[in-house]
Amino acid sequence: MAKTNRRDVLRYGAAGAVTAATAVVAGQELASAEPPPGAGDPKNPLGGLKNVLDPRDFDEVFKGKKIRGLHNQRGRNELTINNRRLALTEISTLFVPADGSPPYVGVGWISALNHYDPVEIDSSRNREGLRKLARKVVDILGDYELADGAADEHGH
Amino acid sequence: MAVRKSITAMTVAEKTAFTNAMRQLKTTSVNGRNYNWYIDQHVLYFSRTSDNISHAHQSPSFFPWHREYMRLLELDLQTVSGNANLFLPYWDWTGSASPFTADFLGAITNGSVSSGNFSPSWGWSLYRSSIQTSFLQRRVGQSASRPTAATVTNIQSYQVYDQSPWNSTVSNSYRNRGEIELHNRVHNYVGGHMATREAPNDPVFWLHHCNIDRLWWLWQSSRGIDTYQPRTGFTAGVVDNTEAMRPFGNGRTPSAVRDITLLGYSYA
Ligand SMILES: [Cu+2]
Repeated sequence: MAKTNRRDVLRYGAAGAVTAATAVVAGQELASAEPPPGAGDPKNPLGGLKNVLDPRDFDEVFKGKKIRGLHNQRGRNELTINNRRLALTEISTLFVPADGSPPYVGVGWISALNHYDPVEIDSSRNREGLRKLARKVVDILGDYELADGAADEHGH
Repeated sequence: MAVRKSITAMTVAEKTAFTNAMRQLKTTSVNGRNYNWYIDQHVLYFSRTSDNISHAHQSPSFFPWHREYMRLLELDLQTVSGNANLFLPYWDWTGSASPFTADFLGAITNGSVSSGNFSPSWGWSLYRSSIQTSFLQRRVGQSASRPTAATVTNIQSYQVYDQSPWNSTVSNSYRNRGEIELHNRVHNYVGGHMATREAPNDPVFWLHHCNIDRLWWLWQSSRGIDTYQPRTGFTAGVVDNTEAMRPFGNGRTPSAVRDITLLGYSYA
């Protein structure tokens, strides 16, 4: 339920920058003073969600595929490619930069598609992690779509 | 007694025997397993299982788990083909020889393997693909380069097998550096299905892992065969030296697979 509402907010709210920005403010207020999820307040279109619209969220076309990323709180981010969901798993891992700079430990996302190639989440040294992940997965998919199994969660 | 050869040393007849045995195992069960059983295990044991242990990846048992996994496949290929000399070949990806040729794993490396060996018309089907296609996908070299010989030398020089916290963050660890900088990188170098959770859909999975196992054996040969860590039976979340690895059952511990001569194969 919560996810559906969250998506609806993005779908309608992202139509214009002003609308989206307003929604961000509203969402932040809700996040601070809010009853637990599931409260069905008809005056509250966010339906009791703690989530806020995040300026890093995106809904765009990359290489012919519609990629959409939502940054939710507590790391429960969502990514869809042509409206098919890709489950993400966060792992702490050593990153070994290809340019020869020193390895470091960070947090990355893997999925069924980039299983051996974690994409670093946003941090002081990385920005736009979710969009980078979406684009990487589009490149792996080539002409094809995600299969249903890509939405299956798994822990690490 | 299988002698595992480099792909550069294989005859055409050996390549044909290998690919035919793979295709047979796709549609035939032997010893209670078929090819898709291997894909199931890879998907299942990539994650922490109900025992809250990472058996196959991002943990010390990465090397021994895959050693046992490959030993079973080699056995099944021998059984299904009736050829006791059938062996898993290894692909030393630091060299120039490619397994992606028409007479071996198929020559298409930039998208769908739509004809030739390991195409659907040849008799290869995908299982649990997270990409909606019936064609094996490869994108060789598009998102990563191969490890160089210098990288391999550097990894092989790590002296500590593994250490706490026993996961993918450990820096001074032969296991983790090998897993990330050699193993992961070649999965990404091949790309397509090799980049996915269901990577054993691509037969090159075995040639790659065979080389990883060979490197571990070389490392063991210089550092000591009985060097697996952790040794005790009480380390939370990981497989200790004398703890059974799932799904392989009782007695299939890291200790039990430490010596390849006792497992019935060698590297040429
Ligand atoms: Cu692998």
